[in-house]
Amino acid sequence: MIKVDNVSKNYGSFTALHSIDLEIGDGEFIAVLGPSGCGKTTLLKLLAGFMGPTEGTISMDDTLLASAKRVLPPEKRNIGMVFQSFALWPHMTVAEHIKFPLSYHPNKIKEGKKELQERINEVLKLVGLNAMADRYPSELSGGQKQRVALARAIAPLPNLLLMDEPLSALDVELRMEMRKEIQKLHRETKASIVFVTHDQGEALAIADKIVVMNQGRIEQIAPPEILYTRPETEFVATFVGKCNLVKGQWQNAGFVPAIDSKNVWPDLGVAESFKGNGIYPVRPEQFQLTAAEQDGVQGIVSFVQYQGHEIHYTVEVGEETWTIHESVFASRFQPGDFVGISLKNAPVQQKSLITR
Amino acid sequence: MTVKQPMVEERKKRDSSFSLFFQKKNLYKIIGLLAIFVFFLLPVLRLVWLSFVEDGSVTWQYYTEVLGEPATWKTVQNTLIIVAGSTVLALVLGVLFSWIVAYVQLSGKRAMQLFIFLPFIIPSYITTLAWTQFFSASGPVNAVLSWLPGSLEAPNLYSIGGIILLLGISHYPLVYLFTVNVFRKIPRELEEAAATSGLSKKRAFRKVVLPLALPGIASGGLIAFLSNLDNFGIPAFLGTPANIRVLSTYIYEQVVGFGPSAFSRAAVLSVILGVIALLGTVLQWFLLRRSRVNETNRSDSTPRIYLSAGKQKLLEASLWIFLLVTSLMPLITMGALSLISAYGVPFNLENLSLRNYEYVFLTDSKPLSALTNSLQLAFFTMLICLVLGTAMAYLRFKYPDWSTKAAELFMTIPFALPGTVFALCMIFMWLEPVPGWNPGIYGTVWILFIAYVARFFVLQVRGSYTAFLQIDPSMEEAARTSGAAGWVKWRRILLPLLFPGILSGALLVFLMALTELTVSSLLWSSGSETIGVVIFGYEQAGYSTYSTAFSTVLVLGILMGGALFMSVGKLWDRKVLKK
Repeated sequence: MIKVDNVSKNYGSFTALHSIDLEIGDGEFIAVLGPSGCGKTTLLKLLAGFMGPTEGTISMDDTLLASAKRVLPPEKRNIGMVFQSFALWPHMTVAEHIKFPLSYHPNKIKEGKKELQERINEVLKLVGLNAMADRYPSELSGGQKQRVALARAIAPLPNLLLMDEPLSALDVELRMEMRKEIQKLHRETKASIVFVTHDQGEALAIADKIVVMNQGRIEQIAPPEILYTRPETEFVATFVGKCNLVKGQWQNAGFVPAIDSKNVWPDLGVAESFKGNGIYPVRPEQFQLTAAEQDGVQGIVSFVQYQGHEIHYTVEVGEETWTIHESVFASRFQPGDFVGISLKNAPVQQKSLITR
Repeated sequence: MTVKQPMVEERKKRDSSFSLFFQKKNLYKIIGLLAIFVFFLLPVLRLVWLSFVEDGSVTWQYYTEVLGEPATWKTVQNTLIIVAGSTVLALVLGVLFSWIVAYVQLSGKRAMQLFIFLPFIIPSYITTLAWTQFFSASGPVNAVLSWLPGSLEAPNLYSIGGIILLLGISHYPLVYLFTVNVFRKIPRELEEAAATSGLSKKRAFRKVVLPLALPGIASGGLIAFLSNLDNFGIPAFLGTPANIRVLSTYIYEQVVGFGPSAFSRAAVLSVILGVIALLGTVLQWFLLRRSRVNETNRSDSTPRIYLSAGKQKLLEASLWIFLLVTSLMPLITMGALSLISAYGVPFNLENLSLRNYEYVFLTDSKPLSALTNSLQLAFFTMLICLVLGTAMAYLRFKYPDWSTKAAELFMTIPFALPGTVFALCMIFMWLEPVPGWNPGIYGTVWILFIAYVARFFVLQVRGSYTAFLQIDPSMEEAARTSGAAGWVKWRRILLPLLFPGILSGALLVFLMALTELTVSSLLWSSGSETIGVVIFGYEQAGYSTYSTAFSTVLVLGILMGGALFMSVGKLWDRKVLKK
């Protein structure tokens, strides 16, 4: 288990991380999600040991890895890392990339040459590069390079695998494929993984648990489905779920939007922090558009964007602008149309999911 | 998964060594900066100090004496005229070539580039020698002119005009080097945006391209200015016979003249020259700070201007004629004239002989020993710079704080200072490193060695630093997360990747040290002559045929070395880096 305890990091007068606490369980797959400059890369570099914290400690299974005074360097930590740019060495073949950590990593193969070769073959097979063992990076495609980078990181069976936006250099098709590949590797190696990304879709799809960061602070730590359906802060609501933050009043019966007090929306699992502030975070797909004569909050459609599987409407409601996603099978509206807006009656989130 | 945790005791030991390292870090930093101060900055301070001191007391005497002489002002005037003229010439040629090579569609640009660099890798005193042969009575220029009607004569190179011409031709490659990438990095979209905003090509050039290229042009111009100010070989070869002095040759004359106050007078002149040079360096530093904005842009070397086939041919032909006439022809002339038996006899078959080569390499013992001296000096200077300079570049790259920046600035000073001034600094520093104690460094080959290391160190630091910048930091990080540290990381990952960049820096150091003239002309002693000193000696004694023979061998050696370097670089890229 890796424990990040009250860690801060300053660069001169700029504070990149504000007292971060985080626990990474054995075999857990954690995604660290946030916009650029939120401190997620700093966190990753601290976990790797490329630098030390200004305050606080990082420990792995009761071994102190880093404090403000001493830092165990990366080469002595039991870790593996996959870089955004792959960081393949142009002068080494695929097999040499895998052999390298097997010769120098703290978990290096201490037995004979035969065991070393066996392990190399095993890893090559795991990432599906048996036929490419003697190729150089310049002779590989983007996806193959990514596999080499993964193979090098997992070869010595590290306790902790760090991934710094490993998929962002790939095109969309390949990214989907590599997501599955990484999930497969996680299943087979059972290493703890910290996966840094700014792509919320990627984080939701791949991780057991997501850490959302913003401006050097952790906003929320939760499994993907909880994070998406029950955000606890405005940042998480808008960054992860793209929520509309509707202002109004929380009463016993439900939520009364300020814009039209004739409506009462049921509580579909809104966090307490929003109730105190009089806000209802509504995701675009939770809204339902009807003709203006129907009940609901009244608005005017200002933009319509056809997306294939759904239609994105921008609707002016009083002073506010809401984003609403509707199915292509629902009735269509044009810019300038008056519409009624109501909440879809999605079931309240199951307790079992929350406490998973 | 099996994971072995280090034993508790083992871990404790390891931890304590870390904290010790962090405590010692500041100590190392201070020791390092102190050493850099002693080797790079202190000699300069001692020179300035000496210009104010007589018999232990501070005095303005030498300043009033030197500044009161009309000869000083005549020299300063010559210096300013020559430096201004040659800087303008270098700027015009350099910017013209870089703009054409960067923007206009031409074939054979790579070959053209090689010829542009030729006057840069051949030491300027050899270029001068070649040009004097080119324009001599038995040279091709006079031969062509005598064919033409009228009584035309080749212009006299031993004049202010001749010095300006050779300085300009020797230093325009520097301007080219600085500006060609600046032009390439100006995004073509900016010109296209200007065009769609209704600007003609000419106005777009004036309003968009030129302002963006100006920082590069200005810093290239300042480098040319400094090099012209610093140059000793050209004014010494061309100016001395015509009694034209510039500051660098005047200082030399003071020192070798051994008057009663020779050193102090030379120190005063050096301060004047150094002040002019440092003003330029500071100005250049400011300009480089501003031009950094451009560095993130991608370099775009596809042509932007397409000429009609006829015009393109015409342009190519005229560029080639210029390049061949200015770089190759004088060298070929020099080679040819080194084969004639006596100076001034016509160039024909009866007069051809290897007599000059026989004299230089068999009869006279000096050239061979100078060759040995220079090769040894260059090799060991390169070796020291290679190891320590690369280590310094790594620190500069890894910890870009005030201490490494200050260190780099200190290291730049010996290189930025004019060679005669720097040589004088070395004498003052190492004659008596601690007042009252003469370890006998001055007057041996050791002072040359120390001087060369101090002077050329920064070239290796810059070369290696550029090499570090070109590899992604994640290459090293990947090595560390794979468990490699220390020597393994360097040997297996960093050095193979850095090799071409470090090698080109080392080769530059080697070449500069091998053919160096200015510093060694003041620091040599009997038995420690360098190549430059011997050629200079022949020339001063009037033995042009011997100096041309020696120079021809040297040029052939340099060209072969250059070819070897380029093929090693290509081979490394292909075989090791798999490019």
